[in-house]
Amino acid sequence: MKILLVEDNERVTQFVVKGLQEAGHTTDHAGNGRDGMFLAASEPYDVIIMDRMLPGEIDGLAIIEVLRKAGKRTPILILSALSEVDDRIRGLRSGGDDYLTKPFAFGELLARLDALHRRAQAINTEMPLTVGDLHMDPLTRKVTRGDRPITLQPREFKLLEYLMRHAGQVVTRTMLLENVWDYHFDPQTNVVDVHISKLRQKIDAEFERPLLRTVRNAGYSVTADD
Amino acid sequence: MMRSSAVSLALGYVALGITALVLFAAPLWYAWQVTIQEGRAEILQADAQRLTDIFHREGAAGLKAFIDARVGMQIAGERILLLTDASMHPLAGNLSMWPSTVPARPGNYTIQVEVGNQGAQPALVHVAMVGSHNLLVGRYNTIFAPLQTRFWYGLTAAIAVLSIAGLLVGLITRRALMSRIHSIRQTVSAIMYGDLKHRLPTHLNNDELNTLTRTINGMLEQIELLVHGVRNVSNSIAHDLRTPLAELRSRLEELALIRPPPEQTYAEIDGAVADVDRVIRIFDALLRLAEIDAGMRRSGFVALDVADIAANAVEFYAPAAELKNIDLAFRSDGPVSISGDPVLLAQALSNLIDNALKYAPVNGAIEVAVFKRSDGTAEVSVSDDGPGIAESEKSKVVERFYRGDASRGTPGVGLGLSLVQAVAKLHGSALALSDRKPGLRAAMTLALDAASAAALATPPQETANVNVIVSATLTSS
Repeated sequence: MKILLVEDNERVTQFVVKGLQEAGHTTDHAGNGRDGMFLAASEPYDVIIMDRMLPGEIDGLAIIEVLRKAGKRTPILILSALSEVDDRIRGLRSGGDDYLTKPFAFGELLARLDALHRRAQAINTEMPLTVGDLHMDPLTRKVTRGDRPITLQPREFKLLEYLMRHAGQVVTRTMLLENVWDYHFDPQTNVVDVHISKLRQKIDAEFERPLLRTVRNAGYSVTADD
Repeated sequence: MMRSSAVSLALGYVALGITALVLFAAPLWYAWQVTIQEGRAEILQADAQRLTDIFHREGAAGLKAFIDARVGMQIAGERILLLTDASMHPLAGNLSMWPSTVPARPGNYTIQVEVGNQGAQPALVHVAMVGSHNLLVGRYNTIFAPLQTRFWYGLTAAIAVLSIAGLLVGLITRRALMSRIHSIRQTVSAIMYGDLKHRLPTHLNNDELNTLTRTINGMLEQIELLVHGVRNVSNSIAHDLRTPLAELRSRLEELALIRPPPEQTYAEIDGAVADVDRVIRIFDALLRLAEIDAGMRRSGFVALDVADIAANAVEFYAPAAELKNIDLAFRSDGPVSISGDPVLLAQALSNLIDNALKYAPVNGAIEVAVFKRSDGTAEVSVSDDGPGIAESEKSKVVERFYRGDASRGTPGVGLGLSLVQAVAKLHGSALALSDRKPGLRAAMTLALDAASAAALATPPQETANVNVIVSATLTSS
């Protein structure tokens, strides 16, 4: 992925650029609003990471608004220390696609960037999903592994569907909470893990190759690769 | 002093009073003058007519004799009479000569007449032609002078009394007002310097100033409460953040000192990240609490079904309950629509269920219930059969960072119930904790939507309280 990072804090920049590089992405960096606006408008990026508060006259939200008015559809992830719900809403209304508050775990950022990138490539939500020998038909709501049908509760179906739509990517617990349960808060205990292990019981327990894997310090991933 | 509102108000009233007096006196004065003038002119004309009649009856000599007799009889200065021949030579009367300012033509004239040692006095005279003689009949205006003087004196006195009284009232009001304002100002400056315990002095009466003072006192009450809350919170933050930060610091310091082999170093780093995550979680929880307390979230209120939210939360926790072999049941009598914040209500319910799961024993039971009540409210409750909370601790558990003895050794930062309490408060309710012996019942009462409350007024239908095993029956997605 070609990624633009608009961020003025050097520590954060170093941390993100290095991490993205290790994950195999090319990153351009702009340290202020003016450069950020220029790069975002002139270069083709897959995803833009935008800090909200930037030095100079132009702040992150202003850049996003200008880009969107100019017809740029590049997915944008807003990175901000402002964590209140209203700030989040304002950020998303200005044209941002996702919102991550500082401080953040790098795994969370990476997973969200992947999800944004995937979402940007038009996805037909009615198309059957396949990962290895696991099949899901969103229309008939039938799930099979090999030739064995698997019965899922509605929420388990939704959980698996989200994981399969992001097959091969890491999906964090927060992403699951937000997208599967629509819970925008952090439950005190890791209930998500319990749901995952229940799901794992159903789709992986009786098969040789596990598809639903735990990614340490990050989240989960459904993949057929080794 | 002129800038005092009481005095300027009094001065305004004085000016208004004077204006009213003048407006009242002016037309009166005018009407009086006109009436007197006309009346006197008529009297003089009648006098002249009578004298003319005498002349016609008894001739010039008769008239002369009559005038002489009248002049002799009358009190000097009250009436003026003069009869002259055609060449203006005086024949009879009490004027020594025809006044130079009066023409020898019939009509009414006002002249100045010298009267003995009193100097010139104004007089109204009437001139008539009697044959070839000229007749002058007049009266001094002085008889009305005392009346006029008294009128003016009266008016002036009234204005003076009005002004002085107004000014006095103004000054007295100002004094009273100033003394009250002074005491308010003293209190306010004491508050300004940080002593929030002071309250403005109030009186028993219900005047404007008192109403205002009471409102301000109410405001001070609220401010003191908030400041107290903030102080408490910052103390708790200081305490509770210090612990994980101290751990983190010692962990890092030890790493720097000992420089253990890489594998152990990595494990320590993971531990440090977990420490930091704990600090961040406390911060997030505190910020959210502050946000709720500030009441900002009320803008996020929408019409929602709280039974649905509870059912979802129960479904969310069902696998975790299963793991502990706890029977997590949900009971309700159908949709319960209220106006509220869905995210916060979900979080509050999730905190309550989370707590119940923590304390309920293995093989225990938890019941989440949402029911409408006949008084137009709905009760949302979470009951468990755990150890419960001691009476003495009930009020403390909702405090920020408070962790009961039972919670030692369990994960959590002691903000869970504070958040539930704050959410309940935002929705106009409070978190009620009661004993089930054994166990704890946490409940909040929420006001129903107007429409649902109205529906309750109609006779309730037979409601079946079905105990459902949630994971098997809920299909909301």
